[in-house]
Amino acid sequence: MKTLNRSVAAIALLCAGVTAAGAADDSTLALVPGGPHPYFAAWEQAGLDAAADLGLGEATYKIPQKWELAQQNQLLESLLSQGYNGFLIFPGDPVGAVSTAEELAGFGAPVIAGAGCYKDPSPAAFCLGTDTGKSAYLGAKELIKAMGDGEKRIVHFTGFLVDPNTQLRIDAVVQAAEEEGATVVQVIADIDAPEPAEEKINAYLAAHADEVDGIIATAWVPAVVAANALRRMGDDRIHMVGIDHDEAVINAIKDGVIDGTMIQNPYGQGYIGAYALDKLRSGCTVKDDAPFGSNALTTKFIDSGTAYVDASNADSYLDTMRAETDKILADFDATYLNCE
Amino acid sequence: MTLQDATYSSGTDDSPLGPRTGLSRSRFFLSNEFGLILLIAIFAIIFGFATKGFFSPFNLFALGRNSAVNIMIGLSMMSVIVTGGLNLAVGAMGVCAAMVCGWMIESLGIPWPLAIAGGLAFGALLGWINGWTVVRTGLHSFIITLATMSIFFGVMIFLTKAEAFRELPPVFTEFGRARVLGYVSPLLLVTLVVAVLLAWLYRGTVLGREMLAAGASPAAAELSGIRVGRMVILCHMLSGALAGIAALMLVARNGAAIPSMAGQLGQDWLLPAFLGPVLGGTLLQGGKVSVLGTVLGAFLVTMLTSGLLMLQIGAFWVQSFLGLMLLVAVLLDKARRSYLARRNLA
Repeated sequence: MKTLNRSVAAIALLCAGVTAAGAADDSTLALVPGGPHPYFAAWEQAGLDAAADLGLGEATYKIPQKWELAQQNQLLESLLSQGYNGFLIFPGDPVGAVSTAEELAGFGAPVIAGAGCYKDPSPAAFCLGTDTGKSAYLGAKELIKAMGDGEKRIVHFTGFLVDPNTQLRIDAVVQAAEEEGATVVQVIADIDAPEPAEEKINAYLAAHADEVDGIIATAWVPAVVAANALRRMGDDRIHMVGIDHDEAVINAIKDGVIDGTMIQNPYGQGYIGAYALDKLRSGCTVKDDAPFGSNALTTKFIDSGTAYVDASNADSYLDTMRAETDKILADFDATYLNCE
Repeated sequence: MTLQDATYSSGTDDSPLGPRTGLSRSRFFLSNEFGLILLIAIFAIIFGFATKGFFSPFNLFALGRNSAVNIMIGLSMMSVIVTGGLNLAVGAMGVCAAMVCGWMIESLGIPWPLAIAGGLAFGALLGWINGWTVVRTGLHSFIITLATMSIFFGVMIFLTKAEAFRELPPVFTEFGRARVLGYVSPLLLVTLVVAVLLAWLYRGTVLGREMLAAGASPAAAELSGIRVGRMVILCHMLSGALAGIAALMLVARNGAAIPSMAGQLGQDWLLPAFLGPVLGGTLLQGGKVSVLGTVLGAFLVTMLTSGLLMLQIGAFWVQSFLGLMLLVAVLLDKARRSYLARRNLA
């Protein structure tokens, strides 16, 4: 899968007229998530592939030891001291992380926010991530459609409250529910880790399974835990739409345990992020009139893609995301950058 | 008593490097502080040679800034260990103090100097609650602060809905990012001033002596006319205020008062809180404190973290290494005290 991803991305770059010769081999890039999390695992291969395809000095995936802003700050400081000169960062906090980003930028290292955004104003060239609000909104709509007629009581399992995306997801699900006459009976947040997710989701379903008709999970671990819980319960009355492409979630879709999942594009974020960082280091600048999107945090947002996967396309979901990555890369320079 | 240690039980005033006896000199070379200075020098040389950029101005600046917070957290714990107690709520109290400061600025519109004072006063108030409960119930502070850690943090999360205060005056971030002479963080200077004041408290004031006496032997202190309960409460209040300073430093670092700045329930502060004082030679039984040792211990831990990160040995090993260090430090201290006792040097 990773090899295929790499090949497709490389072909896309060639189509765009980009070659390794145009890249800077002194680009030493770091791809830094907010903490350990399976979502970001694809960044590692994306960095390696980008370094090989683009002729970069390095594009390394570096993980803070805990999901904590202080740990991320310390790691970034250390990487800057070691000579890393470009950073794709998932901000540990949309505002609290700006200070460190400004320090990095102050040393001439371009910064791009990946998978989550800094709150404007920030020195980040742009934010490359999933339109989390849109993804949650579309996922909720799909869930409500799958629930059919009758009562539509939804429980929402979501991620860390310190994640800038979480509130966007909560609001989006509420909006979709209101539009469709459904009710969000409970939001359980801060459970994007195995222990709290197992504890809270299983406890909730044990006590309230008969009071909900649908589950939407908008974070990786809760989606896995909820899908497994539904499989164990064997209750086909409760519908569910999850998020991301964990094997447990995809298998649950294929087996008919849950209805679908909203996939994201972490590999594309890592690859495109490394590509853009190298371009910025090579002297390109971000166009003033680039057609950025906006969300609650920033007006410089690039959607890395999201799509609904159900039983009909569970075997071919990767193609969808590859196509999205290729599409962004194909005209990236012309759309977003000024390169002399 | 040495320059480094403030011990109630010792009535002498021998300087560690003074000319009076070879005994005091040998005691200094056997002290935690000397060992820490040696370790800092050795590791600095190792990291300087083995890593790229360890002595770069930015890394020295970052090292100083991170040390400032870790030292302050260690001092906060130390001020309760003095009484023979523990403060597991150190992180929760610090975050609560910072959130109160942020709330006063953002929601009440109070000028930031007053808000900082308010935040620190709130930290002291939480300390008073801990101390008062310990004294009134007679339970060990381990139990009380374990409970209040959850209570303080839980109430804070409920009241703030886990939302950070992010619209703080630029003076916070400017202070957090400022550099004195190119590579010294003003946060480190604040910490060093506080450390000097604490050293003076324990060495040069009646109040400090009474705190140490209350920790060394509560019964004897009581018979000497010292109000032990009052001392315990004051030590907890001091701990709360110091935790508040540490959290406000993080606010300056991040430019926002964030509920998760010390992790879930403030637990992320516990390891640095214990490492500094224990490495520094503060007795967990109480009655003896080493401000310099705590400063050096916390600095060593921060330096090791920085060096290990730069060696790229894997971020996940850093935490394991720090835990191992705590264990080794306790065992070495036990061995050192046994040696001193055998040689009649203690």
